[in-house]
Amino acid sequence: MTKLGVKIMPRKVILDSQGRAVEQTLKLNQMNVQHVRVGKFIELEFQQNKNDALIEARRIAEKVLSNPLIETFEIVEME
Amino acid sequence: MNDLQNKLSRYRMKPVEYEKMRKLLGKEPSNIEWALFSALWSEHCSYKSSKIHLKKFSETLNDRVVNSQGENAGVVDLGQGERIAFKMESHNHPSFIEPYQGAATGVGGILRDIFTMGARPIALADYLCFGSPTAPRMQALVDGVVRGIAGYGNSVGVPTVTGQTQFDDSFNQNILVNAMAVGYLAPGDPIALSKAEGVGHWVVVVGAQTGKDGVHGASMASQSFEEGQDDLKPNVQIGDPYFEKLLIESCLEVIQKKLVVAIQDMGAAGLTSSSFEMASKGQIGMDLRLDLVPVRENLSPEELLLSESQERMLLICKPSQWEQLEKHFLNWGLVVAKIGELTAGRKVRLFWEKEILCEIDPDVLVENAPVYDRPYHAGQISSAAKEIKRISGNLKDLYQQKFLGVDHSSRESIYRQYDQRVGALTVQDASVDVALLRLPASGRGLSINVGCRSFLMKQDVQIGAKDAVYYPALQMAIKGCQPIALTDCLNFGNPENPEVMTQFVASCEALRRACLDLDLPIVSGNVSFYNETQSQNARGELVRENIIPTPATGLIGLRENVSDVPADVFQKSGRTVFLVDGREVQGSLKVDLAHFIQLSKLSASSQMVSQGGLFFSLLKMCQGQIGFEVNEKSESLTNKRTITSEILYAAIFEPKDQDMFENYLSQHKMSFSKLGKTNDSDISILDFFITREAFDTDRARGLRRDFEILA
Amino acid sequence: MKKKMGIVQFPGSNCDRDLFSFVTKKGYFAEFLWHKNSFNESDFEALLLPGGFSYGDYLRAGALAALSPVMTSVKSFAKKGGPVLGICNGFQILTEAGLLPGALIKNQSLRFQDQWVDLEVSSSGTYFGKKLKKTIRLPIAHGQGRFYLPEFDLKLLQDNDQIWLTYLDNPNGSMANIAGVLNREKNVAALMPHPERAIEDWMGSKDGWDFL
Repeated sequence: MTKLGVKIMPRKVILDSQGRAVEQTLKLNQMNVQHVRVGKFIELEFQQNKNDALIEARRIAEKVLSNPLIETFEIVEME
Repeated sequence: MNDLQNKLSRYRMKPVEYEKMRKLLGKEPSNIEWALFSALWSEHCSYKSSKIHLKKFSETLNDRVVNSQGENAGVVDLGQGERIAFKMESHNHPSFIEPYQGAATGVGGILRDIFTMGARPIALADYLCFGSPTAPRMQALVDGVVRGIAGYGNSVGVPTVTGQTQFDDSFNQNILVNAMAVGYLAPGDPIALSKAEGVGHWVVVVGAQTGKDGVHGASMASQSFEEGQDDLKPNVQIGDPYFEKLLIESCLEVIQKKLVVAIQDMGAAGLTSSSFEMASKGQIGMDLRLDLVPVRENLSPEELLLSESQERMLLICKPSQWEQLEKHFLNWGLVVAKIGELTAGRKVRLFWEKEILCEIDPDVLVENAPVYDRPYHAGQISSAAKEIKRISGNLKDLYQQKFLGVDHSSRESIYRQYDQRVGALTVQDASVDVALLRLPASGRGLSINVGCRSFLMKQDVQIGAKDAVYYPALQMAIKGCQPIALTDCLNFGNPENPEVMTQFVASCEALRRACLDLDLPIVSGNVSFYNETQSQNARGELVRENIIPTPATGLIGLRENVSDVPADVFQKSGRTVFLVDGREVQGSLKVDLAHFIQLSKLSASSQMVSQGGLFFSLLKMCQGQIGFEVNEKSESLTNKRTITSEILYAAIFEPKDQDMFENYLSQHKMSFSKLGKTNDSDISILDFFITREAFDTDRARGLRRDFEILA
Repeated sequence: MKKKMGIVQFPGSNCDRDLFSFVTKKGYFAEFLWHKNSFNESDFEALLLPGGFSYGDYLRAGALAALSPVMTSVKSFAKKGGPVLGICNGFQILTEAGLLPGALIKNQSLRFQDQWVDLEVSSSGTYFGKKLKKTIRLPIAHGQGRFYLPEFDLKLLQDNDQIWLTYLDNPNGSMANIAGVLNREKNVAALMPHPERAIEDWMGSKDGWDFL
């Protein structure tokens, strides 16, 4: 079994409204942070070997998990 | 391609427009000038193809209208100091590309048009046209658009109280997402305008920081969808309802305290259109320091000028009031910056630090924008309308195939996702035909309704466009509301196509006449052209498909109070049900409107004869607990011509007191017939019979029958 | 002298004005309490946390609001036994701030839901809503109103009579049909439905009137 993570982040050029709100509030409450961006993390488990799983994960991330118009993704190996 | 052709294509301008630009400037335009002209002369900003036809709408204005076309929204005086600002706008193209953000930013944009006037937004309505449920992406588009409207409207705290959702194949590749916003000005509230005034006054930008969102968006809306656009990945704008909410509260605060001289939303073509339009309206000059605009990333001057980052406003203030103004905005956590000032020179000058990028008379861009009288078939404009086709078939089949189909199924799974009560003014929500809010100061009712029925537009644009006024107005009247004013959102295909232009001109003419008939002023509006798609047919030929022409309307009306509003469904068994004709002979509909209002006061429930004719309307009235039994002698029902006729402009009433009701009818010599009686549960209309249980089961799935995704 | 109720205002609150008008219609003074400031606790008879999307509901509903300076005063007020009522987003904030048990997660439908619900009043031991009928009708409007609590804690809640309101027909998958809860001491109360939207006949129900 292969376990892979998909890290999805808002595209840098696009407004990250959630990150902006979190950043402002943290700063307002004297929490010492420079910049905040909020994305999501998704775990996928595969029966396939790692190479096949990576290909499949990429396909799933492109087609379903992320919206390429506004998000980028990154596949992360786990365990 | 040579350099000029390159630029023409990059800035989406026509050679004649380039010639005109060069002549006005008296020199070869710089890159910045190309960008400015491209944005302000786009169809979206300049209304160049529609302007000459829209001008005629001014004939409809009456003395209720405080403010009209030319400002961000129209304002109507309801008396007793209460005024309403309202407008409708399209966000069709962005919604097809990214349905959630497209619909959400559509809502955000129309709200800004309202609160820039100083009016507190109190209601939203939507008018949506989708393709067939089986068309590619359609399930996701419907879901995304509804979630987008909900996500934005719910969060900013403006209730979505009514709307209309239609389906037709012509929208398979070009959906329509029109949103209407309604704002309230309490007695004494100042109206804010967008006319820049006062040499030496400061130009201030407030709200979100500027990013690269939707650069060249205005010219995108003026282009058709091409096949394969999925690969284009244009820069989508992201809306943030949280920021919008801060902007609403802070702007209303500073307008209320009279700290702003003028204010304008930074919508299509962003800083460019807002600054040049404000300067042009005020016939005044403006110096702007682009490097002072707060940004969230590095932007070139051109990008800065054209960015469509959401939730931003441009305003003019007196230097002496700057400190107070700044304090208000900072308290709400918003970025505010002085970026320039008004000058005597009648020129807008754009600076980057000390370097001057461009110096230009705003009138050259705004007032001298091209105006086209695009070719159309004049002979077809006032040609007599064809007869509207009657739906045919036996009642049982009509019920199974049509009444339970996507055109008539319950929209509950859509409107249930909208907060319909935030603001605590909602009397009647989206579960009924006409929404009603309670006006805070006077306690009177404000009704809201949208119109334009695709099935009629498809057959005849004149009948359809007239109906887009008459039908929602009559729907209001039978609930006891006097229609007061109207806004429109005209969605059409490519205006360079004479057939489309003919549809457009004919629709405008029909709207104008219908509004004159009913004394309804058209106080604001929006045009969306280029709703077409280009694709290859089976033989590999390129074909252009236009949408059904769709002049959507949004109406507001007034009711003396908010009690005893007739229901949409039958209320009590054993009552006689009446069909009352609206005669609609040369303007007499206005008289019938008044009669319908009176009849509504005597009625427990009422319904207009709708799509699917008398048969479907009666079925709709049975959607509560009470059923109906036909009077076998009723001519309106037994006559095969009328039971399924769809444009009778007649209404069904369930009187509370039959004698009083009949007295009124005979006193005013109104034409009517008795359709039958309400009963305890089951429904029997001629040879159609269904038990209450079966009827309720059939209806329960509503729109989910065709859109599993909404489940 | 008329009593004064404080209405806590966060950026993104959107039922604050509705609540203000409810409070004044009931004959109390109302005062907004801005999220950035602390306040003099002894000035107030009770505190109300309105519905809306404080801080855009970003991160988790109520999570950022719970951080606000004003919440320090709210907590201190509650600790001394002062009555605090949270409505909708106010409920979410009170759980995030640790003043009420449990968490409010996404509705089972994964969608925002606006509808009327029938509720049973299960406990009357609170400052708010003492005169409520046994069953009442109020509107809900939320995307994250599904009350969740580990089984063991739920048992404690039941044993301590902390379940205030329950849905007769569960709209969102809430555990034990819970629509409103109380803290152990019964001075902090919160509910997902909106009483302030049901205080006159024309609104569709008057059952909310008796909450204040």
